[in-house]
Amino acid sequence: MMITKKHLPRRTFLKGMGTMIALPMLDAMTPALAASRQAQATAPVRLAFVYVPNGIVMKDWTPKAAGREFEFTRILKPLEAFREDLFVLSGLDDHNGNALGDGAGDHARAGAAILTGVHCKKTAGADIQNGISVDQIAASAVGSKSRFPSIELGCEDSRTVGNCDSGYSCAYTNSVSWRSPTTPMPPEVNPRQAFERLFGTADYSLDAPTRARRAEYRKSILDMVRDDTEKLNRSLGQADRRKIDEYLYAVREIEKRIESAEKDDREVKPTMEKPAGIPMTFPEYAKLMFDLQVVAFQTDLTRVTTLMIGREGSMRVYPEIEVPDPHHPLTHHRNNPEWIERVTKINCLHAEVFAYFLEKLKATKEAGGTLLDHSMVVYVSGLSDGNRHSHEDLPVLLAGRGDGRLKPGRHIVYKKGTPMTNLYLTLLDRMGVQPERLGDSTGKLEHLTEL
Amino acid sequence: MSAGLLCSGLEEKHMRRKHPARLLIIFLPLICLAIAPPARQAQNAEASDAFGKTIRPFLESNCTVCHNAGLKSGGLNLEAYTSVASITQDRDRWEKVLHKLRTGEMPPKEMPRPDKTEVEAVTRCIESELARADQFARPDPGRVTARRLNRNEYNNTVRDLLGVALQPADDFPQDDSGYGFDNIGDVLSLSPVLMEKYLAAAEKVARTAVFGADLLKPTLARPKGSGQKIIPRTTPLFDYDASGLSLPNAIHVTHRFPVDGEYNLRILFGGTRPAGSEPLEICLWIDGQQAKVIQFNPDGVASFAVDRQEFWGMAQDFRTSITAGDHWLAASILKLYEGLPPDYHGPNPSKRPKPMLPEFKPPPNLPPERIAEIKKAFDARRAEIVPANDARISAIEVGGPYNQAKGPSLASLKKIYTCGHLDGHHRAGCARQIVVDLAHRAYRRPVTPAEVAQLVSLITMARRHGDSLEEGLVLAIEAMLVSPHFLFRIERGLPATKTEAGPITAADTARPLSAHELAARLSYFLWSSMPDDELLGCADQGRLKQPEVLAAQVERMLKDSRSRALVENFGGQWLELRKLESAKPDKGRFPSFDDYLLMSMRRETELFFENLVRQDLSILDFVDGNYTFLNERLAQLYKIPGVSGPEFRKVDLTGSERGGVLTQASVLTVSSYATRTSPVLRGKWILENFLNAPPPPPPPDVPNLDEAKIGQSASLREQLEQHRKNTTCASCHARMDPLGFGLENFDAIGAWRTQDGKFPIDASGTLPDGRSFKGPQELRTILKADRAAFAEGLTEKLLIYALGRGLEGSDRPTVKKITNRLAAENYRFSTLVLEIVKSLPFQMQRRD
Repeated sequence: MMITKKHLPRRTFLKGMGTMIALPMLDAMTPALAASRQAQATAPVRLAFVYVPNGIVMKDWTPKAAGREFEFTRILKPLEAFREDLFVLSGLDDHNGNALGDGAGDHARAGAAILTGVHCKKTAGADIQNGISVDQIAASAVGSKSRFPSIELGCEDSRTVGNCDSGYSCAYTNSVSWRSPTTPMPPEVNPRQAFERLFGTADYSLDAPTRARRAEYRKSILDMVRDDTEKLNRSLGQADRRKIDEYLYAVREIEKRIESAEKDDREVKPTMEKPAGIPMTFPEYAKLMFDLQVVAFQTDLTRVTTLMIGREGSMRVYPEIEVPDPHHPLTHHRNNPEWIERVTKINCLHAEVFAYFLEKLKATKEAGGTLLDHSMVVYVSGLSDGNRHSHEDLPVLLAGRGDGRLKPGRHIVYKKGTPMTNLYLTLLDRMGVQPERLGDSTGKLEHLTEL
Repeated sequence: MSAGLLCSGLEEKHMRRKHPARLLIIFLPLICLAIAPPARQAQNAEASDAFGKTIRPFLESNCTVCHNAGLKSGGLNLEAYTSVASITQDRDRWEKVLHKLRTGEMPPKEMPRPDKTEVEAVTRCIESELARADQFARPDPGRVTARRLNRNEYNNTVRDLLGVALQPADDFPQDDSGYGFDNIGDVLSLSPVLMEKYLAAAEKVARTAVFGADLLKPTLARPKGSGQKIIPRTTPLFDYDASGLSLPNAIHVTHRFPVDGEYNLRILFGGTRPAGSEPLEICLWIDGQQAKVIQFNPDGVASFAVDRQEFWGMAQDFRTSITAGDHWLAASILKLYEGLPPDYHGPNPSKRPKPMLPEFKPPPNLPPERIAEIKKAFDARRAEIVPANDARISAIEVGGPYNQAKGPSLASLKKIYTCGHLDGHHRAGCARQIVVDLAHRAYRRPVTPAEVAQLVSLITMARRHGDSLEEGLVLAIEAMLVSPHFLFRIERGLPATKTEAGPITAADTARPLSAHELAARLSYFLWSSMPDDELLGCADQGRLKQPEVLAAQVERMLKDSRSRALVENFGGQWLELRKLESAKPDKGRFPSFDDYLLMSMRRETELFFENLVRQDLSILDFVDGNYTFLNERLAQLYKIPGVSGPEFRKVDLTGSERGGVLTQASVLTVSSYATRTSPVLRGKWILENFLNAPPPPPPPDVPNLDEAKIGQSASLREQLEQHRKNTTCASCHARMDPLGFGLENFDAIGAWRTQDGKFPIDASGTLPDGRSFKGPQELRTILKADRAAFAEGLTEKLLIYALGRGLEGSDRPTVKKITNRLAAENYRFSTLVLEIVKSLPFQMQRRD
């Protein structure tokens, strides 16, 4: 939190925070909690958010039927295999994405508000002001239990700074995750760097015996040069000796490091190959970023992730599916059926790569079920109809069973005006966090835990 | 004891017999220590006639008013010097005193000036005393600390050793610099982090050499490139760069390609064009050559606009083969002003029918005043004229590699398998021979049997574990690449040859370098890399020290293309060209500045330097050579007509305001601020780099220039003159600023100008010695008249670079000798290099 000299009235402060965290845990509560943690110790609950930009062609998204017997529409089709693992949630609004007197800039507000429920300050400068996002509230509650409180990933380079949308800072369109009202968490878009952040720079591409043999060889080489250098050093003048001493010190340091690494068996080994860099096509790129999330969950390096399929207002072209048009202008289709068709193709492609993520989570077995069982994965866009910039009746999916009490397999239609943030209160509750409010929330979302 | 130290020199021979210089060395420090009480000063001073007759009276009447024990102006107390010996002992300081006297910087303007003849007499006297001291001093080659390979040297060395062009040192931490260069033994350190990088690089390089580069997965990168600001125009041009390369609509980037292979280059578009224009013609350029041309038709692709062609976000792919290493990629719009709708009246107008533009349709369910508002906006946009030149390339993305070459390169095979076949059937019996030959080249000297045995034992170990001969070779190569004998140049010299009684020679205090150490000094000096087979052969045969062999090798090496390293590494640091990479001229003030211009600037100066080396021209051409190398972009900046296209060519500058590197855009840019020129920085640049006489740093409490005022309420010159009213500042600025003012007609990116804001440029100046000039040409004439000073400055710089250490007082005779030769040999570049190579400090190493 930034400390400024200016005094803020308490109410403003709370409004800015977007949430009020419940009281800290008291010591007296811990035995009970410890017991419940033991029961689920083998499978923590994970929380993931997948954000897609520029809205969705809703007529091909929303199932007509509600309840268990809903149909998988054209865009949802790729997800049909997960009928029993997901909810389709209709009728949820992100009211604070609307102009509310601030004029143009729906894309910036959509990105800023989607996980915070806060109406961000209209500014292109440094004085950005938003709220704390749901993932970061979860991260600050459960983050200490894993190496990384949260990770933020993205599939589109955010190269622009300054004004991105009608006088709004790029921070709003580039990050859906906010650690504080003034601190966005910019996504890492390079899979190699994301991997190295999680697992370090060691070379895991070799099989274990080869790796062990090479390590042995390396030790022999170091041995040899160290011996050699010690002999050499004796015959040198003072200045040269100082240089060679630096060398010897460096060699010995590395030998020490190798030794201590050998003793340390707590090292976390990734179950995927180290990415070389950003893959060539969008589907490969998105799948690789999903792989990273799966591995991070699987190794319990983190329990909270966000992934931005694209920045809000994305201009990505999709030549892979014969869409040469930039995404954003395409969504302002002026009811041209060809353009609407291309937007739908993009929406389908996004659903396909999301299906890949669910498939991976489901294929990863862990104590008491699968990784998907123990996760809560939200798939959402900050806009419903991108052409009209609507922030109401957003396209929302929720996959996984969380702590086991979510009962998916249904299309639930909520009454008009239900805040999206109510869903977050429910999810946080499943993570063991009970903020009283989050942004514009009015209470927990109903019907998720009972059939 | 110091009676022999007379200016007359009459008693020189006599003194030498009586008081051998060896004793002198021992006594001199005592004299310095003995100074202090004024009573003793007088006594000591009597020791020298020269001091008493010439030097002391001059100092007392001109200098010690300020530079005394009490005031110590500028940190200098001249009262502390009481004899010739005390002066020659503190040689560096007195060289500076001499310099100030000669240039007229001291005594300062406000003080009474001594007669010119008086100044000449005293400087001549001190000079000859210093020269005499040199004769008596033991020749001292100095001591160069073991030099670690820096990043450039590492990259070049693994390329030449194993044929591997991976440039692995790009991942290494930045090397530190000292004395203006990044190859100084004392400064180059080795941290555990770097050692770890060395280990990783050794493995990667060895495996690449033996097995070929790892197959890389295609990845996507977006190299950074900054374009110019486009100033929109609605009337097309007829006379413009039809290649588009030098227009702001193009983009230029430099990208390092990891391996030979095919790459997908994606051009991303931006901007708008009038509706009904012909498709754009796009050209992709690789290293200044047209690689591909295509037509790009935006029709049918989604965009926000219906009343114009809009390109934002659109893309076009090119697939092409590219070799490993750095390449300059550019994409431009060809014939930008052609194919516009006929009502633009441009060249070769569009033949396409004028498109039907949509009519205004009032949106339903809105109040009439809102509809009127929307209609107004619609009409205003309809009335806008879409600029003729707004379409642009916004970025280039590089994807790849595809179809990467597999297996080791032929170059690597040839370098490794000096024994056995190249086709993969390697004989185990060859292992030893291969190791001997490789280690000989890696360590740049013959290897001992013990060293060979150790390296071979690694191969044996690998084979014992069931690995192949090649795997074993990889280990041996890795071991070589992390050995201190590879990573450092450790010089031990030859055993001393004791001389009998007689004059003291270097042999008593120093060891000559071995032939192999000399070969390595040569190759890292001229090539920033290891000796090649021919040079190593000369050392092996013990012939390298023969003067004619050495001279022939130097000549050959300068002609070799590898001497580009001297231009890039020495030139890049001496002329500060490396600073161009971080130069960020203000976009608002210099809208025409872009990456293409930046690349062109650097290339111009490099080509100028390279040409001077290859053609063996006079080093004075750096000061005022009346030619340069230009492409269209740079010629545009210089307003020199008749140069078209991206390729550089030699251009005669006779009659123009330009000539020499001082008037090249690269130097003018690195010696400016982002927003304005700085006569101070440019003056300092000249003092530091041309004359190796850098001014001391400014005192800490000096107020800054009021930037906002410049060009508005006061000219830069007036502001600086204000600044110089402060006498502490004046002593240095009186010399620095006029030099910089001579270049004021060139703006902060090197374009010619006659106005700065509201004020006309005044490019005149007067140096402290009274010489005055007007404009850059006359400034160059003055600098060229001081050719001895320039030659000395450059000699010192190149000697530092060649030796990898800072210079000391004992190097003074070497510098003098070289500059004398230069004057006698028309200042030819090869003379400078050869004299450095033949010099005492280059040939020998002081004994510890």
